[in-house]
Amino acid sequence: MRSEQEVNRAIERYGDTVRRLCMIHLKNHADTEDIFQTVFLKYLLSTVSFETQEHEKAWLIRVTINACKDLLKSFFRSRTVSLDTLLDQPAAMAPEHREVLEAVLALPQKYRDVVYLHYYEDYTAPEIGRILGKNVNTIYTLLTRAKKLLRETLGGDDDEG
Amino acid sequence: MKDKLKAAFDQVQAEEALKEKTRAYLADHAQNRTPARKHPVARRLVPAAACLVLVLLGGNWLYFTPTATISVDINPSLELAVNRFDKVLSVNGYNQDGQALADTLDCTFASYTEVVDAILADEQVAALLSDNGVLTITVVGDNETQSARLLSGVESCTAGQKNAYCYCAHGEEMEHAHQAGLSYGKYQAYLELQALDPTVTPEQVQGMTMREIRERISTLSGASSGSETSTSSGSAHHSQTENEHGHNGRHQGND
Repeated sequence: MRSEQEVNRAIERYGDTVRRLCMIHLKNHADTEDIFQTVFLKYLLSTVSFETQEHEKAWLIRVTINACKDLLKSFFRSRTVSLDTLLDQPAAMAPEHREVLEAVLALPQKYRDVVYLHYYEDYTAPEIGRILGKNVNTIYTLLTRAKKLLRETLGGDDDEG
Repeated sequence: MKDKLKAAFDQVQAEEALKEKTRAYLADHAQNRTPARKHPVARRLVPAAACLVLVLLGGNWLYFTPTATISVDINPSLELAVNRFDKVLSVNGYNQDGQALADTLDCTFASYTEVVDAILADEQVAALLSDNGVLTITVVGDNETQSARLLSGVESCTAGQKNAYCYCAHGEEMEHAHQAGLSYGKYQAYLELQALDPTVTPEQVQGMTMREIRERISTLSGASSGSETSTSSGSAHHSQTENEHGHNGRHQGND
């Protein structure tokens, strides 16, 4: 079991990442809170020794995604939800950001993780394949299709990524 | 697009309130979880252990329940408790000589033929038999098939002996025999003797050899209707006719 200090440090370091992953998977804030706590509890109790910070982060990402999937599998939920329920204070966000986030949320589930991990966390396709346990070619395909869909929704800005 | 996405996602952060709640949650749950983890491993073994116990008990009952008894009497009186697989579970002596003989026999898990052979091979027994002693072996059991099987088994063991008698009988009489402190074979003989001489007691009979009992019987019954066949107790039936010393009353119809 890890020390309180270690856990707090992890929360500071990776809290945002976990939060964002929750957002793209879950439907409401209560679930987010639930998963957030579950993930860090697992971190607290886990005996895995992390070689590097990257290793640690990848582990947390995997745990978060799995926890979200498990939660969603466990009962019927409404599939459509607006941004309001996913964020504490949606009003504070500028409209263009909201637009982008909603576009991402509108993507089918399997694209969302890949989009976030690639465009925001800057993971390469092979790395994403390792984290998600998927073939790297699958990841390339998913990225290409997601890019296309987003471009359609957000307007055809040239992509830098 | 990348920049857009980056900028958008930047807006999403773990709120301080969320972090605080999580820290509190972890402080609470950190203690409880680890011990709770221990349970599943032990718990999982409980049904397996229960099954094992049941199997052992069942097997125990199956194997260790005696289903038949072989009573051996010459002078030493012994009873072999036999289980459904024809293995000897225990040997009990019913008089001093019998006890002594039983102690010398090691019959754990031996088949009944081995034990009967061992008895016949014992020095004392051999001496008695060659001295014209009478050997009576009675198979008592409630299972007809097994009783028949055991009977033919002991018959072949004693085939070489000219003074051996083998009988087959049912369980109820065993109770009476044991209550009188006699092995079954001797008990049968005792009943015959008692029919002729009501004063005889089980204790007297206990110390007598089968030969002596037979002689008493034949003396008492004299030349009159031989009731050597014990019709009185009803359920014993002879499966072998052997020559007894000079007494051929059996085939003589009672006058």
